[in-house]
Amino acid sequence: MNQPLLVGAVAYTPNVVPIWEGIRDYFAGGPAEMDFVLFSNYGRQVDALLAGHVDIAWNTNLAWVRTVMQTDGACRALAMRDTDATFATVFVTRTGAGLRSLDDLKGRRLALGSRDSAQAAVLPVHYLRQAGIADDVELLRIDSDLGKHGDTGRSELDAIRAVLDDRADAAALGITTWEAIGRDELMPGALQEFWRSPQYSHCNFTTLPSVPAERTDPWVAQLMAMSWDDPHHRRILELEGLRRWVPPRLEGYESLFDAVRDQQVSARW
Amino acid sequence: MSRIVLDLVERLGMTPVGGIVELPAAAADLPIVSAWCAHSGNELVSTAGGLAVVRRGRVDEGPAVRDVATEHRPGSRLWLYTNFDCNLACDYCCSRSSPKAPRRALGLDRITRLVTEGAAAGVREVFLTGGEPFLLPDIDAVVQACTDRLPTTLLTNGMLWRGRRLQLLRAMPRDRLALQISLDSATATQHDRHRGDGSWQRAMTGIRLALDEGFRVRVAATVTAYDSAETTALHDLLDGLGITRDDQLIRPVAHRGFADDGVDLTVETLLPEITVTADGVYWHPVAADHPDQLVTTELFPFAHALDEVIRRFTTYRHAADTAASRFPCA
Ligand code: SF4
Repeated sequence: MNQPLLVGAVAYTPNVVPIWEGIRDYFAGGPAEMDFVLFSNYGRQVDALLAGHVDIAWNTNLAWVRTVMQTDGACRALAMRDTDATFATVFVTRTGAGLRSLDDLKGRRLALGSRDSAQAAVLPVHYLRQAGIADDVELLRIDSDLGKHGDTGRSELDAIRAVLDDRADAAALGITTWEAIGRDELMPGALQEFWRSPQYSHCNFTTLPSVPAERTDPWVAQLMAMSWDDPHHRRILELEGLRRWVPPRLEGYESLFDAVRDQQVSARW
Repeated sequence: MSRIVLDLVERLGMTPVGGIVELPAAAADLPIVSAWCAHSGNELVSTAGGLAVVRRGRVDEGPAVRDVATEHRPGSRLWLYTNFDCNLACDYCCSRSSPKAPRRALGLDRITRLVTEGAAAGVREVFLTGGEPFLLPDIDAVVQACTDRLPTTLLTNGMLWRGRRLQLLRAMPRDRLALQISLDSATATQHDRHRGDGSWQRAMTGIRLALDEGFRVRVAATVTAYDSAETTALHDLLDGLGITRDDQLIRPVAHRGFADDGVDLTVETLLPEITVTADGVYWHPVAADHPDQLVTTELFPFAHALDEVIRRFTTYRHAADTAASRFPCA
C-alpha cells in the first residue's frame, strides 16, 4: 500500500482548509489517497516540492515557471482548473477618463498589484514592453500580498482604490478580481475595462520526475472524475472556483516565461 | 463614489465560509450590496442600523443537513398518524388522543402512496402511530403496505390483542417490523398515574405476548423527571425480558397536547421528522395536532412537502446558528 500522495497548497484564505479537506476526503478510500500541507507562501512551497517534502504542489503560474527554471524543465504539470486555462489580465480606468488602448497609457500612471503576481504585475509590464511603451508609463506598485502571487486579490483591490482616489490613471487586474467586483456593472459609472490580454494559463498541479507516473496517474484520473453534477463535489468545485479539472494547457505559460526572462525575475525568492 | 464592493470582496475573501462580515453602509450602498451578494453567491443577512451584514457563502441546504447524523437527517424518517382515536386517555398525550377523540384516519390508499413516494424521496424508515393503531380494522393491510416498501415501526400501547385484533397482530410480518410499546416505569405506580389504573399490567402482558409471538419489541418510556434508580430498575426489567438496550428508549414528556408541563419544543429548535396526519404535513410527531408545526395541508406530492421541510430547516439553522435538539419519539 502506497503512502498517500502529499499535496502542498498556499494558505491565502481560511477557506483553503475546507477546500483541501474536501478534496482529501474525496480521494479517501480510493486508489490514490492524498493528504495536504499548507504553506504561507509559494517560495516555501516550491522549496518543499524540490526537497521532496511534498509530492505535488498546487502552484500559481509564476510558481510553475520558477519550478521549471529550477528543475531545468524536468517537472511535470498534472492538471489545472478549466478557469486556469483561460485566465487573462484586464486594464481598467475611471469611466470617461479617455483611455481606449494600451497606447493611451503613455504619460500616465498605472497601478500594479504585488510584484510577484503574474496577472497584476509581471504580465502587465510584459504587455507594456510588447507595446513598446514600458518606458513611457509610470508604475505605482502596491505590494500588499507579497509571497502569495496575488492569490488574495488584495493588491488588485488596492490598485483599484488608487484609481478611484486619482493616485493612478489605470490599474491592471486578473479577470477573477474584475469578475469578483462585478466588472463595470455593480459600481456604475466608476470603472471601465479598456484593454484585455490574450488568454494565458494560471495554476496547475506540479510534480517532479521522482514521483512516478504510477502514483500520479490514478490520482489525476480520479481528480478528473469530480463532477459538477454531484452536489458533494460541486461544493468543493465552487469553493475552488472551477466547474471541472482539465489537462494542463502548457502553451498558455509561454508569455509568462518570456516576461520572467525579460524582466529577469529571479528563479528563487 | 462608493467603495463598498471593494471592501466586501476584500473582507469576504478573508472570511471562512459561513462567517459573517459587518460593514458600515450608507442607504445608497444597500442596492449595490444586495446586487453584489446576488452576483457573488454570498448571503445578505441584514441591512439594519447603517450596517450591511453579509455571510460568506450562499444559504445552501448542504452543510446544515449534512451536519446531522444520517439516521436523523430530515426526510430519513416518515411518521404517519393512522387514526388519532385511542382506547387510553394518558394525561400527557401529545396528540390529545382518547376514546373521545374523533377518528381522523389517513386510510390505506393515502398511506400506500405516502410510503411509495417517501421511499422514492429518500425516506429510510416509517413510523406508524395512532392514537392506537390497533383500533383500525385494516391495520394489517396498512402495516403490510409499509413493510413491503420500508422498515417500519408500529407504535402501540399493546393492550388490545385479543380476538380479532390478536389475529391481526399474528398476521403481521416479523421481518422489517418492530412494535414500539409504551411502558413508563418498572412498577405500576408511575405508569398508571399518567395512563390509568391497571394499564401497566396490561402493557407488560402485551410486551410479553409480542415477544412470544416473535416480534422485535422496542419499549419507550415517557418520564416526567429523571430518576436514576427508576431508570436502572426499568432497564433491569427490560434486560430481563431480552430487549436490547438499543430498543429501550427513555425520553421526557414534551410540553404538547394534554401535557401541562414538559420540554418545550419549537420548529426552530427541533430537528424535523416529517409527520403526516389526515389534516396535513407537520414538522415533528410531537406536534402533529398543533398549527405552529403545520408545514402544509397538501399531502401530495410528498416530495414537495419534504423540500419545504428541508428549506425551512436550513433557514432556521442559518438564522439561529444553534444546534437543533433532537426529541426522540422512537
Ligand atoms: S399517549 Fe398513546 S396510548 Fe396514551 S392516549 Fe396518547 S396515543 Fe393513546
